[in-house]
Amino acid sequence: MVVANWLHSSLFALPLSLVAFCIGVYFYRRSGTVLLHPIVTASLIVAALLHTLNIPYSDYQHSSTLLYALLGPAVVALAVPLKQNLAVIRRAGWPLLVTIAVGAVLAPVVAIIIALLFGAGESVLLALSGKSVTTPIALALAEKIHAALSLTAGIVVLTGVVGALAGPPLLTLLGIRDKRILGVVLGINAHAVGTARAFEISALCGACSALAMGLCGALTALVLPLIISS
Amino acid sequence: MTPPALSNIFHWLIGTAILFGCERLGTLASTMLALPVPGAVVGMLLLLFGLMVNGGIPRGLAQISAQLLFLLPLLFLPAAVGVFFLRDLAPADWLALIAAVVIGTLISLVLCAMLLQRLLNKAGSKW
Repeated sequence: MVVANWLHSSLFALPLSLVAFCIGVYFYRRSGTVLLHPIVTASLIVAALLHTLNIPYSDYQHSSTLLYALLGPAVVALAVPLKQNLAVIRRAGWPLLVTIAVGAVLAPVVAIIIALLFGAGESVLLALSGKSVTTPIALALAEKIHAALSLTAGIVVLTGVVGALAGPPLLTLLGIRDKRILGVVLGINAHAVGTARAFEISALCGACSALAMGLCGALTALVLPLIISS
Repeated sequence: MTPPALSNIFHWLIGTAILFGCERLGTLASTMLALPVPGAVVGMLLLLFGLMVNGGIPRGLAQISAQLLFLLPLLFLPAAVGVFFLRDLAPADWLALIAAVVIGTLISLVLCAMLLQRLLNKAGSKW
């Protein structure tokens, strides 16, 4: 009885998340591939455990309010890397800003058009609208536009992994060798996962990516609710 | 490991207070002015503006922010786990979703890269 209660409380959910995250980080560092981004391993571990122990997802979710509460301050914390990399704008100027603005609109629009062609339902379309925005901003946005949180998180993570994996070889294929262009493109399309990948390539590539991610996220957060509500 | 000096803890507390303060302020502004923008994003813009006016980044704030951003995957783990428990999504929806994310991301990667390269050439900027 005591054990049963414990399984459904925060005292179980929080250590579970923490341990799964640590295992995820360990495997990510060991493997060195974005396919094993901590969130991928960690979410698989948690989902498998909840399933085996027969714990409803809603119980786990409700016991994790502490983690949700920290998402807001984490979004605010994004301002710090943004400020640190603001100097890149001064050098790259308007082409950078234009690309970020276009990319912020392009990424979700292309995805939504493809989903429409495949006949997706409204819930999928809404969740896709925040696909290339960094997860904490995407979740805050999802709440505003009433998109499903889990679906949004899943789409954002998948987008990040696909973008971070495909980005570098794709640009080589296009004959673009400038690592700063690669950084910006990764930041716009693959948010934090892409930025982690960019930092592996070079510090400059990572700085460009962090900057593009932050600006793209802020821009989407400013514009998207206006489009959805009208 | 040596225990952190008292002044470090003081700096971290200030950094934490700044993050929570900006978030509260942003949320307050968002609800009071009925802004469509999420409160946390307003808070982020407030902090960015504050840092630009201030010039530098307080040491404690930089350290706490780096920690929090490192922990980000942990913070949205509960939401991500939910993907495995979605019941009300039809198989056709799943197919559309995966196609949209994979193909959409590839297309937008290519278009963004080509656009930026073209614009940089046009501007002739050496960055």
